[in-house]
Amino acid sequence: MDRTVIRAIALACCVIAAPFGAAAHQLVVFASVDCEAVTVEAKFSSGRVTQKGDVRVLDGENNLLTTLPLQSDGTARVPLDSVDHSSGLVIEVDTGSHDNYWIVTPEDIARKCGS
Amino acid sequence: MKHHIFNASLATLVAAMPAAAHYGMIIPSDPMISQEDGRSVALTMSFSHPFELDGMTLETPVAFSVTHEGASTDLLGSLQDAKVMGEPGYTLDYPLERPGTYIFAMEPQPYWEPAEDAFIIHYTKTYVTAYGDDEGWDTELGLKTEIVPLSKPFGLWEHNVFQGIVKMDGAAVPYAEVEVEFFNDGAGAIAPDALMITQTVKADAAGVFTYAPPSDGWWGFAALNTADYTLPQNGEDKAVELGAVIWVHFEEWTGQ
Repeated sequence: MDRTVIRAIALACCVIAAPFGAAAHQLVVFASVDCEAVTVEAKFSSGRVTQKGDVRVLDGENNLLTTLPLQSDGTARVPLDSVDHSSGLVIEVDTGSHDNYWIVTPEDIARKCGS
Repeated sequence: MKHHIFNASLATLVAAMPAAAHYGMIIPSDPMISQEDGRSVALTMSFSHPFELDGMTLETPVAFSVTHEGASTDLLGSLQDAKVMGEPGYTLDYPLERPGTYIFAMEPQPYWEPAEDAFIIHYTKTYVTAYGDDEGWDTELGLKTEIVPLSKPFGLWEHNVFQGIVKMDGAAVPYAEVEVEFFNDGAGAIAPDALMITQTVKADAAGVFTYAPPSDGWWGFAALNTADYTLPQNGEDKAVELGAVIWVHFEEWTGQ
């Protein structure tokens, strides 16, 4: 795991994330990846599934690549061939009152693709 | 270290005192892994006197597992030999594939303690949360004997209380005795009296105990009971002390 890359992306993301306040029920965002797509999952710390929200996908330089809605089961799918993931991806989920992010590093993708 | 030096002038006295409690230990590199920390946790397993940093040999455990989202995985074959406190122990780097609470548990081989004329088996566990998701923090593993946390066993400030229920065969143990000891790694704590190396609290009638540590760091809680069976030693049946051990990390308070 290249922590330098993770931290660099995290730092860029924090600029975006900082204005949002954490609330009692925190939003937990996670994204898993395989060679075809990033699968985004969002839930509240209470365990409830996040049923509505926007998913913003940014690259490692903090450029917005695409926005899509969160599905009612708290997931979203981002096909890898639909975005430039060479510098990693920052996946933000924003419900309007809660937000959080997950960083997909190039190493995450390479590890899952077996390369 | 602001809290750890109790009385340096008595160091030599304490050094001459007999060793305190034996503890099975599972110490993670971090009890709360964020995505910025990486994608794995490093674990160190030992059998020792943690306050005095006095290591003993940890033989190959009978079982070592991780439980996450209700599923348990055998990790015994993944343990790596290591020296811990100068004695044989084990390490393990475990990948954390998904968010949630991971509970690492170890059943050691029975340890024959001549001084107590008994065997010791410490069922040892610790809880690690990954990626901001604490779901599963109160998981009961169903071990022979176990401390089930009532306080979330991570994300505690120093001086917070920790509460747990002592269980044996799934049932609460009224008035169970719980020994508490600090992992004195790099902290330099010196006890003014041997009685303060291992402290003792008792559970209430419902098996619930409470403790508030004086400092941040790793604290081990060992609920000790005698097994309802014996083991042979040199042709004689000997008692077996069963320990339910949980390791909990308290964080340094960051306020003024």
